[in-house]
Amino acid sequence: MAMIEVRNITKAFGNLVVLKNFSVDFDQSGVTVILGPSGTGKSTLLRCINGLETIDSGDILVDGLSVREKKNLKDIRIKCGMVFQQTILFPHLDVLENLVISPIKILGRPRNEAIEQAKELLNKVGLIDKLHSKHNELSGGEQQRIAIARAMMMNPKALLLDEITSALDPEMSTEVLKIIEKLAQDGVVMLIVTHEIPFARRIASRVLFLEYGSVVSDTSNEEFFTTVKEDNERIARFIQNIHH
Amino acid sequence: MFEQYLSLTHYDIFFFLKAIGMTLWITLVSITIGTLIGIVMGLIRCSKNRIVAAIPLIYIEPLRNSPLVTQLFLTYYGLPVVANIVLDAEAAAIITLSLNTGAFFSVLVHSAVKAIPKLQWEAGFALGHNRYSNFRNIIAPQVLRLLIPSAITLYINQLQVSSFVSLISLIDLTKAGHILTLRTMRPFLIYGIVFVLYFAISYPLSKLAQRLEKKVAFNF
Repeated sequence: MAMIEVRNITKAFGNLVVLKNFSVDFDQSGVTVILGPSGTGKSTLLRCINGLETIDSGDILVDGLSVREKKNLKDIRIKCGMVFQQTILFPHLDVLENLVISPIKILGRPRNEAIEQAKELLNKVGLIDKLHSKHNELSGGEQQRIAIARAMMMNPKALLLDEITSALDPEMSTEVLKIIEKLAQDGVVMLIVTHEIPFARRIASRVLFLEYGSVVSDTSNEEFFTTVKEDNERIARFIQNIHH
Repeated sequence: MFEQYLSLTHYDIFFFLKAIGMTLWITLVSITIGTLIGIVMGLIRCSKNRIVAAIPLIYIEPLRNSPLVTQLFLTYYGLPVVANIVLDAEAAAIITLSLNTGAFFSVLVHSAVKAIPKLQWEAGFALGHNRYSNFRNIIAPQVLRLLIPSAITLYINQLQVSSFVSLISLIDLTKAGHILTLRTMRPFLIYGIVFVLYFAISYPLSKLAQRLEKKVAFNF
């Protein structure tokens, strides 16, 4: 059984149908990069998996739990950590409290244990010295690295990363991408929506290309950047446009 | 020049102190009750259900858009006539000021909750918080920080408008000033003292609001 099963879902915002009879499975391994033009439903797909958007028809199962059942949402969200395009730290809390509040309140983890894990993760993302900083004392890249660490605090089975570098300048973007690569090497399962093609090429084990709410191509990394890219004119044009 | 101050008797000073006590009592009780009413009404205003959210407006809008003195007269002079409810001046003052504070406080609560970006809610949900836990642990502490400075400003204002209770014969600071003026025939002296006493209570609170505003300020 796939870890995430997206079964024939449709999602519309008013008259705009973003995902139409959309189906795809994600196994509990590797890094899947989701590419495609803007407005094609990539972010909506991640938000539907996390239950932040309700689906109009079809179903999504995360570890066998349906997102249509409200009672499953807490477990689904714990299993699938999500990091957003905009950096969203809780502004009234310092970095450490941002990290420990949810494991303590949601998972009932002892505070000392949560603090230890937070320190380990901050070490991993290279920000242990920012333990007691507030969000306005951090750069955009640092905030995003902390948002990743915060999501990892819940020990998720998969991380959903929604264009997490698109609001950052190239230098900050590189800092964040390095962390993602490190997590991928550690075997963290990830679904990544991104426009960073070289990064996708380095990190992806599977590449999904979406257009108009449907899957145009679903292949391995190697296949995508060789055969598919050569054969599919639309994908070739998309990659070329992004490079320029 | 200062001889006129010396002409005030011990009784006058005691009279002023008692009146300050009444002003503070009326204000403290009514802002406490008003704050509780305001929190409840403000949170109902934040309901996703439009009809439920509109219900508090039936209470809020008339009180925000009419003079406090009219509300006070309605409670003190009007209720005995239409509902045979006779209140003493102190009860009428507390009820009216509480309801008035509640109306304004509910607007502050509603605005503060609405000022929290939707993304803050989403970040909490994405970490597994349900609506209650999200509000309790993530949203409410932010709302409180946004609320504190404007709440103090409202409290200072309520302290000042509490002087209207003197119009229903309650001996607060303003009424005490009026009585002493009639006795001493020194309006500038007596109302000068009343002015200074109101200022002495309000100014530190206003400074506290400014300090808190700086201390708890944050950008999203």
